[in-house]
Amino acid sequence: MTEASAGRLSESTRAEISRLAAMYPERRTALLPALKLAQADVGFLPPEAIAEAADVVGVPHSAALELVSFYTMLFSEPGPARRLIVCAQLPCALRGAEGLIRDLRAGLRQQIEAGAVEVERTSECFGACHKAPMARLGDEYRERLDDAARRRLIDELGG
Amino acid sequence: MSVALNYVPVLLTHPGRTGPVSLDEYCSEGGYAGWRKALTAMTPEQVIEEVKASGLRGRGGAGFPAGMKWSFIPKAPGAKYVAVNADESEPGTFKDRELIEVEPHRVLEGVALCCYAIGAETAFVYIRGEYVEPADRLEAAIAEAEAANVLGAGCLGTAVNVKIHVFRGAGAYICGEETALLESLEGRRPMPRSRPPFPAVEGLYRRPTVINNVETLANVPGIIDRGSAWYNTIGTPPRNTGPKIFCLSGRVNRPGNYELPLGAATVRELIDDYGQGVIGGKAVKGVLTAGVSAPILTADKLDTRLDYDSVQAAGSMLGSASLIVLDEATCIVRAAALMEDFFRHESCGKCTPCREGTSWLFKILQRIEQGHGRPADLDLLVSLSGEISGKVLCALGDFATSPVVATVKQYREEYEQHISEHGCPFEPW
Repeated sequence: MTEASAGRLSESTRAEISRLAAMYPERRTALLPALKLAQADVGFLPPEAIAEAADVVGVPHSAALELVSFYTMLFSEPGPARRLIVCAQLPCALRGAEGLIRDLRAGLRQQIEAGAVEVERTSECFGACHKAPMARLGDEYRERLDDAARRRLIDELGG
Repeated sequence: MSVALNYVPVLLTHPGRTGPVSLDEYCSEGGYAGWRKALTAMTPEQVIEEVKASGLRGRGGAGFPAGMKWSFIPKAPGAKYVAVNADESEPGTFKDRELIEVEPHRVLEGVALCCYAIGAETAFVYIRGEYVEPADRLEAAIAEAEAANVLGAGCLGTAVNVKIHVFRGAGAYICGEETALLESLEGRRPMPRSRPPFPAVEGLYRRPTVINNVETLANVPGIIDRGSAWYNTIGTPPRNTGPKIFCLSGRVNRPGNYELPLGAATVRELIDDYGQGVIGGKAVKGVLTAGVSAPILTADKLDTRLDYDSVQAAGSMLGSASLIVLDEATCIVRAAALMEDFFRHESCGKCTPCREGTSWLFKILQRIEQGHGRPADLDLLVSLSGEISGKVLCALGDFATSPVVATVKQYREEYEQHISEHGCPFEPW
């Protein structure tokens, strides 16, 4: 088991958090970036990772925990290998977001049941309304998901 | 046809392009000329006066005069900061994304000019966490500009230092609220502060701070390079000068960002001439002009000019100029429920009326849409909205009631039909 898989941060992550904390006018500004770095390192944010990130920045663990429980892009539980988040807010809904969600859930049924893929519906807007309907796959935007594009996306995810 | 069709963009000067404009390319097209002019021939006060004379109003939504905001910063020595609001999260808004993706140096030049004007050496661009690619491009552009000594320590061989940090959010609409943004930058839960003190006096790290939207700052290089008199030839002076990027989405054939002078086009012209009309030739039911945060304009208001004052006179707000077009096949109750679902999700939870009220508004709208509405629900929606609006620390609570109150008022018979027929009369969409 690597250090990271035990919920501990790698040396390079700790070093990067230290660098950021020293760079900003106040160290605590590095807390949110530190948690994102920790999440990228470990895969999610278990209590050990949250505590370690807070320690490197130099703030109480509770200060870090209250960010983790607030921001939607920070995860305190392990997630699926691939997380597909579909915008269903008004501009996307007006261009077929619900149909997109139905198609993705049907096409990826086996992968979803196996816990390998998650298709999440969100009411957040991702700023891609002119290329609706759309979804985020990890950090990537997948836009203009018409029939052909959503078929390719399903194929890509093993469906 | 709109006269605005002859307009040559000054912000998004590379229509259709998806890749970023490099430093060399930007400079070859006159970029950083305003920055050079300010550093070599203008005092900070002269920069502020030029921006004031331009009439530039904040493009993030509130429309507050940018030069006046800069002039509020105390002249006393000590650290000052610029915070750039790139937390673009309002439904229907995608203009700052394109500015950063394609014109990163125009944005950076505006940030640098703001720093110089108020005497700040450090700026933070607070960009929403989902904008990974735009944030990467902005960081690359900063590295380019620092390597060429345009930004960084001793900019262009002067004694002026400007360090611009890209700070990535992590998924929270509330960070677009300026004091929540500051809390987020300080590593705290992003919940709005009570004011006063205002950020110009006590902002980031309790120091004087200017917070401007990306598009606002992207206007500044042109103002400094070509002058406020030139800027006043664009738009409809004195209160609606300059260009504006209109985000057009919803049921139109060609959604997208369209840069036009303020007041040059009407809502109808934007939809027909730029958006190439409504899909399937259907009639417009209504248009949201400020994303989901202001009252809907009904179809009889389509000849409203797209500037701050005209949209306000028509009963709404221009806001970030994010126009979402609803056609006749759109169920207004479902649309309102979707919008309220957004606010319910995004309420930070600090103020009880907003935290609890937005959830109740959503639940009532949802039950009406699903056929379980009661005749008293419409008055309940309006009275509950009155318990939120104006009784909270930030504008989110006010925004959250707009889609409800306006649609109940303007489309009341559609709500009543849902209740009397115990269901939605529209085809699902």
